[in-house]
Order: sequence, then C-alpha cells, then structure tokens
Amino acid sequence: MTLIWGGLALGAVYALVAVCYNIVFISSKTFNFAQAQLIMVGAFVAYTGLVTWKLSVPLVMLLAVASVMALAAIEERLAVRPVKDPHNILVTTLGVSILLNGATQLVWGTQPLNVPFFGGNDVLELFGGQIYPVEIALVLVAVVLVWALTRLSRRFLVGLALLGMSEDREAAMLRGVNVRRLAFGAFAFSGAVAGLLGMFVGPKTFAVATLGASLALKGFVVLAIGGFGSMPGTLVGGLVVGLAEALAARYLGGEYANITVFVILITILLVRPAGLFVRVRERTV
Amino acid sequence: MNRRIVAVVASATGLALTLTGCGSGSGKDAKSADEPYRVLVTGGLSAQGALADNSATSVLSAKAGAKVVNASGGILGHKVEVTVVDDASDPTTAVTKLREAINSGKKPDLFLDSGPSTVTAAVLPILKQSNILSMNIGPTADSSNPSAFPLNFDLAPSPTDYVKGFIPHLKEKGYKKVGIIHGSSSYGETFNTEVTKAFTGAGIKVVKSEEYDVAALDMTPQLQSVRAAGPDALIMDGYGAPVGYLLKSMKKLGWKIPIVANTSVSATGLISTPPPTGVLGTDQVKNLVMQVHKSTKHDSGDAAVNKAVAAMKSLGRIRSTLILANNYDALTLVAAAAEKTGSLGDPKALAKALEDKSVQAKAKTTMMNGYHFTATSHSPNSDAGAFLFVEPSEIKDGQFQ
Repeated sequence: MTLIWGGLALGAVYALVAVCYNIVFISSKTFNFAQAQLIMVGAFVAYTGLVTWKLSVPLVMLLAVASVMALAAIEERLAVRPVKDPHNILVTTLGVSILLNGATQLVWGTQPLNVPFFGGNDVLELFGGQIYPVEIALVLVAVVLVWALTRLSRRFLVGLALLGMSEDREAAMLRGVNVRRLAFGAFAFSGAVAGLLGMFVGPKTFAVATLGASLALKGFVVLAIGGFGSMPGTLVGGLVVGLAEALAARYLGGEYANITVFVILITILLVRPAGLFVRVRERTV
Repeated sequence: MNRRIVAVVASATGLALTLTGCGSGSGKDAKSADEPYRVLVTGGLSAQGALADNSATSVLSAKAGAKVVNASGGILGHKVEVTVVDDASDPTTAVTKLREAINSGKKPDLFLDSGPSTVTAAVLPILKQSNILSMNIGPTADSSNPSAFPLNFDLAPSPTDYVKGFIPHLKEKGYKKVGIIHGSSSYGETFNTEVTKAFTGAGIKVVKSEEYDVAALDMTPQLQSVRAAGPDALIMDGYGAPVGYLLKSMKKLGWKIPIVANTSVSATGLISTPPPTGVLGTDQVKNLVMQVHKSTKHDSGDAAVNKAVAAMKSLGRIRSTLILANNYDALTLVAAAAEKTGSLGDPKALAKALEDKSVQAKAKTTMMNGYHFTATSHSPNSDAGAFLFVEPSEIKDGQFQ
C-alpha cells in the first residue's frame, strides 16, 4: 500500500502542475512553459517565509501567493502580451523559465533546501501503508482544486467567459468579454495557484533550482494524457502517470519507470489523439 | 644563379637550425624570464544546481595553488598567471572559450578543467591537437589513457579507485550481502558496474542493484525492491536533491539499515546542514556513513591541508567540500616535473616527468596523499588508504568536522 500511496502523491504533484498549465491554456490556447518554475519559486518563497523569516503559515501562504502572482503578471506583460504570433509564446515563456532557474539559483543557492510542512513531518500509517502528511495533503489539494476550477468554469460568469474565449476568441469579444483583461487575469491567477502549491510541493520535493525541470516534463505528459484543457483529465492523467511510474520502478526496475509512462502516453494518444477527456471535433473548411 | 640558390638554401637551413635549437627541450627554458606560466581554469560557475558550488571550489583551489606556488618563487622563476573562464558546465561553451584562449596570442601552458566529464570529453581533443598540458577533475572513460591523450592527467580518482576504499570498510563491519541504489547519470552507472565487479571479486554478495532517474522525485519503489532482497547494508550513490528523496523514502519505509554512501552523497549540502534547512542530526542520517578523501575530514595536525584551506579562504568562500579541490595539487605537480626537466617549454617532457615516481614523491601533494601516474595510466591510481568513511557532520571551510 505504501507503493500506491507514493504513486498517488507523485501523480498529484504532476496533476497540480498540469492544472496550472490548463488555466493558461483554457484562457489563451497557449502554454506557459515557465509554469513549473513558478511552482518552484513558490517552494523557495515558502522556505524563506517558514525557515528564514519564521513567519506564520497563513502569512507565508499570502506571501507565496502574492509574490508568484506578481511574477506571473510581469511575465504576461513582458513575455506574452507583446508577442503577436501565439506560437512564439512557447519560446518567450521558455526563456522566462530559464531566467527563473538562474534567478532562484542566484538568490537561494544551488543546494536543496528542506521546506517544512505545516501539517507535520512524521510518517503516518494509512490503510496498511506508510505515508507522509504532505502526501495526503497533495492528493486532497489536487482533488479540491480540480473540483473548484471545474465548478468555477461551469457555474460562474467569469468561468463561462473563459470557456467562451477558449472556444472562439472573436465571438467572445463580440459578446462583450474583455478578452485581454481576462487572459491577463487567468495568467496572474495561475501564478497565484502556483505560489500556493509551492507550500505543498516544496515539502515533498525540497526547494531546489532543478525542480522546475523535473516537474515540467511530467506535468506536460499528464496534460497530454488527460486532454489539453480538461481539468478532470489532469486528475486521471496524474493518477495514471504516478501509479505507472511507481509500479514500473518497483516491479520492472527503475530504468523502466519513464519508458512505461511514455508507452502509456503513446498508446493513449494513438487511441484518443486529443487525450482521454477531450473529443476531436470535425471542422468545416 | 646557382650560387644565389645555394645562398638562399644555406640561409634558410641556418635559420631553421637556429629556430629548432631555440624550440627544443634541450633543458633550457623556452620561455623568457619575465613570461608567466599561463594557466586556464574553466568551471561551471553559472551552472545549475550543486554543480556551480563544486566548480567554484575547484576554481578557488586552482587559484590558491597558484598563490602558494607564486609565494615560493613560481615555477622555475616564472610567475603563475591564472585565468578563470565560466563555461556554465556546457561543453559547447567550454570548447568556444578554449579556442578563444588558444587563438588570443597567449596560448595557455596548462589547462585545468573543473568538470563535469562532458566538458572534459569535449575539450580533450582540442588540447591534444594544440599540444597543451591538461589536468581535470571530471574524468571520462579514456581521459586517463596516455595512448589517447598523452598530455592529460586525471586528478580525481577513478570509480575503480573509490571502490577500492569500500571493501576494507565493508569487511571491517562484517557486511556480507549488500544492495545498491544508484542514479542514472553516467557516473552512477559506472559506479554501479565497478562496485558490483569489485565486491563480487572480494566475496561480498550484491543481492540487488536498483537504478533511479536523477530527475525523479521519489525513490520509494526502488528501495522497496532492494529491501526485499534482504541486504546487510545499502550502498548509495546520489547527488543533490535525490539524496534527500532517498533518505526521506528510507524513513517512510522505516528501513533502518546501515547506509554506506559514495563521495557524491558527501558533497550534498543537505546532509551536512542541520534542520530545518537540512537533515543533519536527524533520524534520516543516523545510519549513514560517507566516503571522503582524507583531506576532506578536518585534522588540526595536518599542516599542509590547513595551509591549503587558509590559502583558499584568503581568496574566497569555500562553497563545497574539498573533494572538488584537487586542482590545488596541479601546480605542485607541474613544478616538480619542471624541476626534473629543467624547462617549462615542452609539455611532452613535462608529461613524461609526471609519470616518474620520484617526481610524484617530490611534489608532496596536499589534497590527495599521492598521484600514481604511470606510462600506461594517467589516473591517480589511489589506494584504499586515500579515503575515509565519516558520519555526517557540519562542513566548515570545505571539511567535515
């Protein structure tokens, strides 16, 4: 059972990265390649707040949310908005990710830093398996976040406007949706979520300048499995990737963990090219 | 007409003979007295992760070595001039910077490479082509092979050397069956191959060997697999955050087996830093011992190492352990070789001298107690006595206390 818990927790980390990718994708049909790095910055801010400045947990949460949200907003203004061709955004956001890797290294150094978890660091026994409190929290946060964002997109005007934008940007504009402001808001919001997630991801992974690179690839795989733009898809994708990685490492050997994940990805994409939760729609040309 | 041709040929021959005389390693120094001995040191000072700290220590040690040699009059009267280049641990950048230095008109006499091995592999062919003496702390599969690179010397012990140090420790502790957990890096894989081969030869059974991806975030499954094989001790390879993940996973599994780790683990700051930033003094490192060079453990009676540490400190902060400081010994070795050849002008003669046991003994190196280069191997060929196994402790000035 320890293996299953471990796989679920790992899947939850990847799913959370994918959720952040999705927030930007739904609003502007593009990817923010610096998203994983924003979560990494959140982990570093959590470390500084909790360990260096010894602030209270709610204050550190606010600090992480505010600082990473501000970073994401700056990124949108400098690296996304001025770019005319959406394809080039991939390059500019990749540039931001490299910039963030270097900046965190300059500020926090190169060694991994332990981020304490406010829910305790002792191992718990759960249904016959061992698990850290932060791993339980990661799974819960992933489920709650997906539920909340799905609800937001279906029940609230801003969510519906975002979906409308995602479907047809011009039609949304004609219906009075302030597309630019909403896209900016979604970008900043994805930063705020990334900052908050740093509080949960950091205690599992350490705050380290290489974390962004470790999270980015698997987050993208989760997104591809679940379907670009699908929030429930990130949960299923995370579950598949996390469990496949853990089970393959245990029973086939560590060298087969990544291969297994990519075999599953290719198989799913062959059967459902748009991912498990997104349908391919025909278009009249 | 014939007389004119004869005169031209005679002049050209005379000139050629004069130049050949000047350039020969006839025991006279080809450098003019005021010309410095140029050392080019490259390192990934702006690299990602712990590599930057290690490169900084490596560069600092080279500068300190030069400072000490210059304080005692330089090499054969020539002042040592060190130029530091940041290659970001990127082979392409390293190659570009090296070519720039060669074509600058001030060709380096000695090239010191702070690793990693990918950089070494990229620069060695250029160094060979340009006839430049070189030393490195990031060995590759053939960097110590004189047939391939006659002017290059590895300062870092090879995985085979390190493995030699494990066997006496395991036998002393009475471990008969061991499990191995290692990273997917080229060093991790080589370490696994060498350890398995050496242990089997020494009668120590390797019951299970598991690899983890160095970018992975959880190693619990691999450790479960090794635990199922029932070893007496766990041999661990890891560097940076993966060391933290391994120790966390061990704690989660409640697996309290002795852990014998390699030098990469000892170079990870997490294990020598107390909580809340690190794990020093916690249950996670209670059963851990790590291999280090003798110079990496502080000994107040070791005057040579303490002098080296003082020289390094006077030039900057020592950001990682002295395991990465072997460049300090480079100029001592070159000075001893130059004393034998009587010249700094011929890199081939210097390389030949470095293979001489009397030169190696005269060099009185500090970071390693000896570099046993031979005509067939330019690896330090360290013996088991060059290493120690220490429990985690705080690191001060690059040394475990």
